[in-house]
Amino acid sequence: MKDTRAMAYVNMYGVLGALENLCALDAAAREILAALKRPVSLCFDVKGGPCCTFHFSREGCRMEEGRANCTCRMRFASPEAFNALIDRSKPGLPVKGIGQLLAFLTGPFTKLTGRLTALLRPSEEALRERAFFEESTLLTLYVVAGAISALANEDPIARLSASYTVDGEISLGVRDVASVTIAVRDHHFTTIKAPSAHPRVIMEFADLDLAHGLFTGTASTIDEMCRGTIRLAGMISMADNVNRILDRVSLYLG
Amino acid sequence: MSKYPEYNHEKSHAWFDRARAVIPAGVYGHLGPSEGLFLPLSKWPLIASRAQGTYFWDMDGNRYLDCMCAYGPNVLGYCDPDVDKAAIEQLGIANCTTAPSYKMVECAEKLVDTVAMADWAFFMKNGTDATTFCVMLARAYTGKRKIFFLRNYYHGNDPWAMRADYPGILPEDVAHNVVVPWFDLQAMEAAYDQCKGDVAALIAQPYDHGNFFDNRVASPEYWQQVRAFCDRHHMLLILDDVRAGFRLDLAGSDHYYGFKADLICFCKALANGYNLSAVCGREPLRATAASLSFTGSYWMSAEPFAACIACIDKMRRLDTPSLFRRMGEKLTQGFQAAARAHGFDLVVSGEPALFYLRIANDDSLMLHQEWVAECVSRGLFLASHHNHFMNAAMTDEDIALAVDIADDAFGVVAARHPELRG
Repeated sequence: MKDTRAMAYVNMYGVLGALENLCALDAAAREILAALKRPVSLCFDVKGGPCCTFHFSREGCRMEEGRANCTCRMRFASPEAFNALIDRSKPGLPVKGIGQLLAFLTGPFTKLTGRLTALLRPSEEALRERAFFEESTLLTLYVVAGAISALANEDPIARLSASYTVDGEISLGVRDVASVTIAVRDHHFTTIKAPSAHPRVIMEFADLDLAHGLFTGTASTIDEMCRGTIRLAGMISMADNVNRILDRVSLYLG
Repeated sequence: MSKYPEYNHEKSHAWFDRARAVIPAGVYGHLGPSEGLFLPLSKWPLIASRAQGTYFWDMDGNRYLDCMCAYGPNVLGYCDPDVDKAAIEQLGIANCTTAPSYKMVECAEKLVDTVAMADWAFFMKNGTDATTFCVMLARAYTGKRKIFFLRNYYHGNDPWAMRADYPGILPEDVAHNVVVPWFDLQAMEAAYDQCKGDVAALIAQPYDHGNFFDNRVASPEYWQQVRAFCDRHHMLLILDDVRAGFRLDLAGSDHYYGFKADLICFCKALANGYNLSAVCGREPLRATAASLSFTGSYWMSAEPFAACIACIDKMRRLDTPSLFRRMGEKLTQGFQAAARAHGFDLVVSGEPALFYLRIANDDSLMLHQEWVAECVSRGLFLASHHNHFMNAAMTDEDIALAVDIADDAFGVVAARHPELRG
């Protein structure tokens, strides 16, 4: 059972949060940004849910919590309304910087989210191209990483897992490709899209093919642990709880 | 230069691959790698060929001095001649029969004579069966719904004993579970008030012997307070002695800590590896126990009863609880001395019969996992985040060997981590 409010956090921190990585990784996204005449700081303000600002410039995209530094803002009456933006491209109510907002929303933003969707919901045919496959899988890693913290903090079942997770940094990644940090403090999770300097536990997938299999449900975490293709080291109770939250991530993103 | 060369596990891992082809996870549960105890996987034997005394051998013929004892059942030593003789003789007489064997009666009498609080005994097969029986009995007896658990609990893997975030578990399965912290009577009182009296029982292990942290031993005073709390609120006190039972005290771990449980669950050390678990209870609960619909196809088979009787008799003859305390202390003191010599701070916690180890030089357990892996791959079988178990076949020579391998493994890890020399 999905919780609507938790879904809004997954959409904000996981799905839209991956715009940061899309703009860094993807040549097509970088081209879209290169056409920006001036920076845009777009805030998605969800009543009873998350509020984040995405700073777009020719250099890339950066996500920031809150609305303080936005140049334009879109308001959503509820988490359901915000989820409709992701599911059905149904926008919220423009409340600040309306001119800039509409121009950005109908132009670059639509192109960026279109590219994001193509990579996160790829066709079988597209995945046959290795470079696309790798980019798609890597981007999914960042979505999953954002969704882990979103659910650990907001989903009733995942919060139970979080309540049993001790403080420290969890390193989650793909060997020789990328890793992210999930920082845990007082059972609150924060995703940092950079390697951990001092992880308390390491979960590392052998390669992108395995990561793809795990993200799409064609591979089993337990079975791969038994094969030794997932490197685990450190405070295994943290990995165990993250693994339980990953089950919830599959439910929300599936 | 390592004194004990690393084992090769080629054949064992080939067998494990065969297992994975036909069994989900290959070896599921706590005996396999899926619970993160075998890190890195390449250092572990995974599949055994035979066992004797305090040792087992893997498929490559490597010998392991086993401090995990099949996670508890091996209490007298693998293939104990007295227990095996009783079991084999019973197999020649009768085992799984329409009318249960008289051995069941003898076994129940043995438990009632041995366990201090016991007025009756009820048999099943696994620890989970025993804890489930107790929870059902508590609800039937009191007419109340909620069960108190102490944090870090493990009471088996029936849905009621798990958590809502486990695969396949519904929130409804655990809706009446209330988790309270260890050693905090105020929190227990507050939780009781929140439940408005609808609490059937407290189920607890005799001390906090969970995983990933130093185990915390309870005091008799603590248990007296818990006993009084349960009495005051007409709750049953269920002692889950599946793990610690008979290793601390043959009369039950409640007897060891100076209190009397209403129900007590035994399994691991009950029959030295023969499949049997039991619940012992106090007289007022007898009629309710009889009323429960609770049985299984093999629950009255005679072979495990014969093994159990022989096992209890031998544990009594050897005074295994005293032996385990003495040997456990000697073993862990040896480990600690070896650790210090190489610059490691090895913390030993819990009861000596079920000692828990943790290298405290880092807070991630990574050093500890490295050391355990080097021990295992040199023939000393330890676990990185679980308590260990003593068995009566372990001799002073075995302890000397265990400490020597541990010392060697500390040397290997120390050489890999020059930064620890300060």
